[in-house]
Amino acid sequence: MSLFEKLGNQVIRMISGFAGTIAFSGKVFLRIFQRKTYSSAMREVLVNQIYFTAVQILPLFLLVSILFGSLFIGIVFSLLKELGLTQFIGHILMGLIVTELSPFLTVLLITLRSSAAINTEMAVMKVNREIRTLEIFRIDIIDYLVMPRIINGIISIVLLSSLFSIVLLASGNLFSRVMFGMSTDVYSNLLLNSTDFSDIVIALLKCAVYGFFITLIPIRFGLRASRELTSIPVVVSQGMVNVFAAILMIEVLSLLTKLL
Amino acid sequence: MTVSRECKVGLFIVSTAVLLAAALLYLAVGKGVFEKMHTFTLSSRSGDGFTEGMPVDFSGFNIGKVQAMELSDKGIVLIKIKIPDRHVKWIRSDSTFVLYRPLIGAARIIVTTSDLNSPPMNPEQVPEVAIVNDINDAIARIEPVLDQVTQIADHVESLTRALSDPQGNLNQTLGNAEKITANLASKKSLVEMAISDEESVKALNESLKQLKEITTNVNRILSKVDKMADKTDREIYGTEGTLPQVNVILKDVIGKLQKLEKTIDNINKISTDASEGMKDFHLLRSDIDDVVVSLDNVVKKLDAIVGSKKDPEFKVP
Repeated sequence: MSLFEKLGNQVIRMISGFAGTIAFSGKVFLRIFQRKTYSSAMREVLVNQIYFTAVQILPLFLLVSILFGSLFIGIVFSLLKELGLTQFIGHILMGLIVTELSPFLTVLLITLRSSAAINTEMAVMKVNREIRTLEIFRIDIIDYLVMPRIINGIISIVLLSSLFSIVLLASGNLFSRVMFGMSTDVYSNLLLNSTDFSDIVIALLKCAVYGFFITLIPIRFGLRASRELTSIPVVVSQGMVNVFAAILMIEVLSLLTKLL
Repeated sequence: MTVSRECKVGLFIVSTAVLLAAALLYLAVGKGVFEKMHTFTLSSRSGDGFTEGMPVDFSGFNIGKVQAMELSDKGIVLIKIKIPDRHVKWIRSDSTFVLYRPLIGAARIIVTTSDLNSPPMNPEQVPEVAIVNDINDAIARIEPVLDQVTQIADHVESLTRALSDPQGNLNQTLGNAEKITANLASKKSLVEMAISDEESVKALNESLKQLKEITTNVNRILSKVDKMADKTDREIYGTEGTLPQVNVILKDVIGKLQKLEKTIDNINKISTDASEGMKDFHLLRSDIDDVVVSLDNVVKKLDAIVGSKKDPEFKVP
């Protein structure tokens, strides 16, 4: 096989893989709005997934958001003070920290913890022929396995990202009081003046899209595992690389949306 | 009591959703989403610098934003601003609107109302927006500075031209300096360079040597004088010196004079007493004189008596 053939083969595989993921995404997305998706079994799995993804991680998540958020805001504020750009505190907080940083850090944390777990879980189920068994029992794999995890991803990322933003804004209030002697009224007024509803809506939508893809891609790659145990690490690493690529793509798309 | 997994998940979702909803509601109220809005129309000859969503400020506070912009049939740009009900009181019939474009930061429309008691602005009124452009102002301010900089550059150029000219003042000065330094290098000393006569320099050197000897002698004499002065000082002011002895003698003389004064007083007293005694002598003498006179008289009488008698004998009592 020549070099060009190899390259072409890879590009075709990449495009077909991307198209397959998009097609799978469309199929799953439509299922979200179907009532029959939300069976009692699915709801039970959904509750468990939310528990493992968001509730169990909550103390660690809050700790990280308080520590990291406070440090980050302290650095940004001292930089603004040095540059004499204190009037842009609101814009920096809302435009950079709340709408960009919070979703990004949240999705990174959840990806590292949950996406890898979902990817491995799916691959192991595939290797152990649990998926095949469920199919034999005519249990819809998408309804029972995929949908709870994807809806969990959407809910968890949206809520945790909002929580992260609220913690950051609270520490921003504290830092603005300490560093600039700014009262809470002035601080909230600054935030209100520099906030656009469209930015908030875009940030929430971005979180939902993140949540959708950081669960969908690991599921899809996990289901690609063969019957051999050695295929598990391969599909997990492929899935995680694709998840990170998807995160970057979504970030770029959201920035483009803002620019336009 | 153990809380069930469902309960924990439900609590997490509800509490976080409530927090999120409260934050969004606060934002909505703060942004005036539920508030009655008033729309005013402004005009401008150019739409340059205006954007939809641009803030409208009054006294540094945001009171509204630009809702829409459109071009009228007359080619004038109409800018519709949206002001919430709670801020509409700042917009009066005499309000002026200025588009402010700072060098750094977003452009905004600044509302200035000189008389807040003037009637509210009629929505049909279309005031024109004045434009203040920091960039153009800055350029206008920089232009004279740039002219000065150009002049300075011209001067620098003429200076460098003068410096590079071989017949220029600086080059001539440098040539002279070179000659001086060469001359200095060929002479043994600065004095030789100044006098230009080697004999005179030698004479000057001899004089200087003699001056040195004289100075040494003077120093020696001065040291002797110093020693003598020291000795004299010791002899006059020392513990065994003249001055302390004179002081002792003087003190002794003063004591003796004091004693003499008492003696003189006694003499005076004696003299006075003698004077008084002399008076007594006078009285005694007068008494004696009187006695002598009496005796003389007696003698005379006796003589008279004796001379008259035949027998010059007589019997004394």
